[in-house]
Amino acid sequence: MTSTVAPSSFRTVWWVLVRSISTRGRFAGLSLLGLGAIALGLAVHLTHAGNRPGAAWSLVDSYGLSLLIPVVALVFASAALGDLAEDGTLVYLWLRPLPRWQLALAAFAAAVTVVTPVAVLPLVVGAAVSGQGFRLVAGAAAGGMLETVAYSAVFCGLGLRVRRALVWGLAYLLIWEQAVARVSRGAARASLYINTRSLAAFLARHPPPVNAVAWSTGLIFPLVVVLVAVALTTWSLDRGEVT
Amino acid sequence: MTDATIEVRQLAKWFGPVVALSEVSFDIEPGVTALLGPNGAGKSTLFRVMCGLANPSRGSVRIFGENPRANPALTRRIGIAPQQERLFERQSIVEFVRLAAILHRVPHPDEAALRAIDTVELDPGDTRPLGSYSKGMRQRVKLAQALVNDPDLLVLDEPLEGLDPRQRLRTIELLRRLGNQGKTVIVSSHVLDEVERFGSRILVIAQGRLLAEGPFGAIRELMDDRPHHLRVGTDRPATLAAGLLTTGVVTAARVNDGWIEVETSDAPAFRRSVAAVARDCEARLTEVRALDDDLESIFGYLVDRR
Repeated sequence: MTSTVAPSSFRTVWWVLVRSISTRGRFAGLSLLGLGAIALGLAVHLTHAGNRPGAAWSLVDSYGLSLLIPVVALVFASAALGDLAEDGTLVYLWLRPLPRWQLALAAFAAAVTVVTPVAVLPLVVGAAVSGQGFRLVAGAAAGGMLETVAYSAVFCGLGLRVRRALVWGLAYLLIWEQAVARVSRGAARASLYINTRSLAAFLARHPPPVNAVAWSTGLIFPLVVVLVAVALTTWSLDRGEVT
Repeated sequence: MTDATIEVRQLAKWFGPVVALSEVSFDIEPGVTALLGPNGAGKSTLFRVMCGLANPSRGSVRIFGENPRANPALTRRIGIAPQQERLFERQSIVEFVRLAAILHRVPHPDEAALRAIDTVELDPGDTRPLGSYSKGMRQRVKLAQALVNDPDLLVLDEPLEGLDPRQRLRTIELLRRLGNQGKTVIVSSHVLDEVERFGSRILVIAQGRLLAEGPFGAIRELMDDRPHHLRVGTDRPATLAAGLLTTGVVTAARVNDGWIEVETSDAPAFRRSVAAVARDCEARLTEVRALDDDLESIFGYLVDRR
């Protein structure tokens, strides 16, 4: 047998987690949701009636950024560490000489790796086939990607910290992101959806939506959330108890 | 300065109102140490706290002189096989053991994984997912991943559970060999006979408390010194009870219909004398059976004694 160079711990854990969260059931269900974005894009392209640019923006905003990406990110990201904590296999990663921040970062990266092809890619394809030009595609891609990293970071930590993370995550999406942030300007500033939607609207040259923030804020706020969320997940791994 | 690999001092752990461990103190030195206790005694909680997986509510644990929770690098010297059966179900055995080798930064993870798999007598060419493995095979997979980094300290929670008699024997031999090589091996079990075969020092734990510690022989003696209750079936219970009480071996006897319950502090002597007494009394013996030789009764006695 030949000797091999040991691969990096980070890459190994990342791949283990990618495989762990990529179950057939999740892929089947959530890919249908992704395909919905392409179907809607086609429908916008084929329709002759009404306001095509408005319909295409609704596809990106009301379907992609409001529903598709948050839900897909919730399912995959909350499972990245949550499944392992629940079934007791986290011990096989935790009881190793691996810095906790690497474990947190690997889980976050694994979630982003899986959510991107399942949710962001179909959204971008849907925006492209709607035939409303490059700017809408750029808005969908940037807004979608930014939302993916932000929600993935938040839901990775949520999955580790709470049982029934899906229920808590859905409650957060429905109550905070889709209700409170839409009616309160102050709350909107702390909403990932409003921030990423503002950036997407700016790039798509779409009129600023209700409670929109500046595009620069829309870019920076989610990135700050990513840093804070990964740091909190690291802290949880460091201080919490492993089942 | 002490030679102890593990130092546990006044350790307590509670979950809300439930006390899982209470004021537990001991040292563990190189060699095999068995942690003996009934199910629910607190063995797994003790293991989890010892390895840093859980915080002590009070007290301290030091492994190689350091706090295991404060220093993840310490895990490089530790191999652990937890009690739960679940593994990374979609991985093959080589992938799983190799993962442990990589994360432990073993220089040649592939070779190390094959060596560890070979040690537990599993087939490294088996590409089936671990989800299809039997309980006994999973036990050996857990042992292989615990051995892959050649640790100085092995912590194995119920490592013999689910193994067939031959695998048990091989595993016991392997762990004894590692202990003789100067490694610290700590295993938990709720089966007295299993622990006896390790020929090790034992810690007896029940209801979250450390009840006894020392070489197996001394603990066994302590257990044998307790009052034993036996059921003696006979066609002349009253006559036989009177005869047994005159021997001095029996301290109490209760006569029932067709049998006697006797109490003795020397069960072997009783077993030696009962047939002769029955013959002298012209009584026919139909059975002699211990009523409290199970581990639960022994732990109950030790708990009451403290």
